[in-house]
Amino acid sequence: MAAELIDPVAVAAQAKGLIAIGAGIAVGLAGIGAGMGEQTIGAAAVGAMAEDEKFFGKGLLMTVIPESIAIFGLVVALILLFVF
Amino acid sequence: MGISDGSKYAYIAARVRAMKSKLIPKEMYPKFLNMEIPEITRFIGESEYKKNVDEISKKYSGTDLFEHALNENLALTYRKLLDVSQGEANFLITEYLRSWDIWNIKTIIRGKFSGASEDEILEDVVSAGQLRYRDIIEIVKIDTVEGVIAAFAGTPYYSVLKEYSGDLADIEDKLDKMYYSNLLKAASSTENKLFLKYLMKEIDLKNLKLLFRMKRGGMEREDILKMLIPGGFELKDADLNRLSSLSFDEFVRALEDYSYWKAISDVSEELSSLWNVETRLDKYAQSYITSISYYYPLSILPVLSYIISKKIEIDNLRIIVRGKETALKEDIIKTHLVM
Repeated sequence: MAAELIDPVAVAAQAKGLIAIGAGIAVGLAGIGAGMGEQTIGAAAVGAMAEDEKFFGKGLLMTVIPESIAIFGLVVALILLFVF
Repeated sequence: MGISDGSKYAYIAARVRAMKSKLIPKEMYPKFLNMEIPEITRFIGESEYKKNVDEISKKYSGTDLFEHALNENLALTYRKLLDVSQGEANFLITEYLRSWDIWNIKTIIRGKFSGASEDEILEDVVSAGQLRYRDIIEIVKIDTVEGVIAAFAGTPYYSVLKEYSGDLADIEDKLDKMYYSNLLKAASSTENKLFLKYLMKEIDLKNLKLLFRMKRGGMEREDILKMLIPGGFELKDADLNRLSSLSFDEFVRALEDYSYWKAISDVSEELSSLWNVETRLDKYAQSYITSISYYYPLSILPVLSYIISKKIEIDNLRIIVRGKETALKEDIIKTHLVM
């Protein structure tokens, strides 16, 4: 009786929706994490660059390192969206 | 220490690290000893001091040029730290650099007391604290000590200065005590306990220097105790009481019980001049603050380490040039350098 009430199309749509939410959370939280990391490194890089322009390259490199966390989030989101 | 605590110091800490890398390396000092004054002045004129030397060279020459350029560079460097810092860092740097206000007040009052000219007083002024140079110039124009003190009305120092009744040393001691008391309060308001520990050690070192000088001068216990600053780390009130009542030799031996002994033990046999001891104690302070600044890289400690290293650089350069000017032997000049 209960099985008859479950609409497979609705369940599929619900699952897709949950996957989308999961993907959103993965990218969002990874982005916040990367931002928190970049906050400190960026401030330090600008400080060093203000004293010596030669730190521009190193400073830029260091600042984008936490971006890898955002990329991990994006990868997880893509896996969720296209594999499941 | 949370992320937000660290990030608020990231900018200033990285900036002072970059500034510290531009300080004169200690390997250069022996080379300076082999140079003549014009060579040293030229080297300095091509370094970080270029702007200051160029500006002042219109007015002064020789060692006077050197002296003024160093003073101006120190003042501008410290003022820059105040300008580029924010929040807690700015508050702590401001409080720490108030020692230069105290220095300037003492210089002006001593100058007026001894009848020095305006130029002579301004030569020794370093406007690295809260008192601006233009205000100091106006104050220096006042003729009497009482007039100078009245000019400081409205500043935090006036509460001590107004007690002046002809005893210069008394006012100077009280200013020092007020400075450290306020600084300890400011440091206690932060979470960084190592900063507080450093300041307490700085008080110890200052007291030790005073004790060495006073003991050498054969001063009475009561007179010594009046000058000592309370709030030290190892040298508490009871220790200061005990040390100040000992004879010079007993005092030196009693220091073996304290951690500062390892800094001065190698010169304890040759105390004909106290320069050796004071140089060792300065070196100890610099090494200590530099080492603890690595424990908390995102805190006020790297900034403090830079402030102290910069002061030592200026002092070293001044000692070399003044030593060369008076034709002192290289060995003697070298013992006065903090390297």
